[in-house]
Amino acid sequence: MPTYTDMTRCDGCGECVDICPSDIMHIDPVYRRSYNIEPNFCWECYSCVKACPQNAIDVRGYADFAPLGHKVRVLREPEKGAISWRIRYRDGRIKEFTFPIRTTPWGSIKSPSDYAAPDLSTLSSQLLAHEPDALHIPALPTIKKA
Amino acid sequence: MFNNNPFAGLADALPPRIMQAYIVVMFLAVVVGTLLDVYHKGSGKFFARRRAYSKAAAQRKLTSGESVSLALATVAEAAVSGEFCKWPRRVSHLLMMYGFLTYVMTTVVMVFGYPGEGRIPSMVPALWTIGGFMVLIGGLWFFFFLRVNVAYDGASPFHLGRADLFVGSLVMSVAFALAWDYAQSTHANPAATWILFGLYVFFTTVLFVTVPWSKFAHMFFKPTVAYQRRVEEANGSSDLPRPTTQNHIVRS
Repeated sequence: MPTYTDMTRCDGCGECVDICPSDIMHIDPVYRRSYNIEPNFCWECYSCVKACPQNAIDVRGYADFAPLGHKVRVLREPEKGAISWRIRYRDGRIKEFTFPIRTTPWGSIKSPSDYAAPDLSTLSSQLLAHEPDALHIPALPTIKKA
Repeated sequence: MFNNNPFAGLADALPPRIMQAYIVVMFLAVVVGTLLDVYHKGSGKFFARRRAYSKAAAQRKLTSGESVSLALATVAEAAVSGEFCKWPRRVSHLLMMYGFLTYVMTTVVMVFGYPGEGRIPSMVPALWTIGGFMVLIGGLWFFFFLRVNVAYDGASPFHLGRADLFVGSLVMSVAFALAWDYAQSTHANPAATWILFGLYVFFTTVLFVTVPWSKFAHMFFKPTVAYQRRVEEANGSSDLPRPTTQNHIVRS
């Protein structure tokens, strides 16, 4: 189900435009609020739904079954590292799900340029850059030969 | 510029009654424009339907005290533009909002309270000028750097569209008002002063007459929606998921 913006909630911050991998979240030229310019091309990754600080973006089905009354709402709580979904089925049933989205504070992930450049000798290592420290584990697990 | 009533110099050519009538007509244009906007977009119907849905889905009825408290909280949030999640937009909106209110109120005071009087309490023209500069700073900052289509959607800082009708006419109106006031205070060429005055009146008229097509009415709609949202959260009819009780942040 592709996304759409509730314009009464949107405050036009542009986060969804920034994050959309399909580049289909754009700014409406009349109201300067975001909108999905091409729902057919939506990957349904819901990055914009999760990124919206105003909970203004929902998802809905295509026109042939959207009027049947289902609804999907999302609440992101970055301070708790969680995202919750509330699904209303078209027969009125409601289900809620909460998922952890991260275990570190929002905005605390370091960019690659914040790390010291790795030594050239590590090119021959099986480890990726900054492993295993960046993974917060002492060592990567290994497979023991039988 | 900070001490004189800029409208006093007009009194010879333009009777104060005409200036007062102009302000009344602009006020009526805002009222009629907002009502037309509500009718055309169906905002009234939308809010009525949403209110009825919220009432039907409410898990508990709010007391009148709670409703008043929610209304006060909404006003408090709107007073500091608390709905914005990014501080630059919030600051620019606050500059524009309070600058515009100060500028409009002092205009009304000078035109109605001191018609044709050059010497008035210096606080009034000073506030008019300060309000104008606040609108200019907030408006130009917003226009060139913070408009979301410019900052995020790749539009040129000079891009003009229908969404810019409100902020564009507001900035131009205030800019020409201040320029006209400066021209008067420095006794500039009379023709130039009249041209600046004409542009000031033109953009002011555009600002208030284009309400049905511009974003002017959003200053009335936004608090209404914010209040309704608070009511829905309080009476249990909000369709958002309940906040989780678990904290998954376990590392710093």
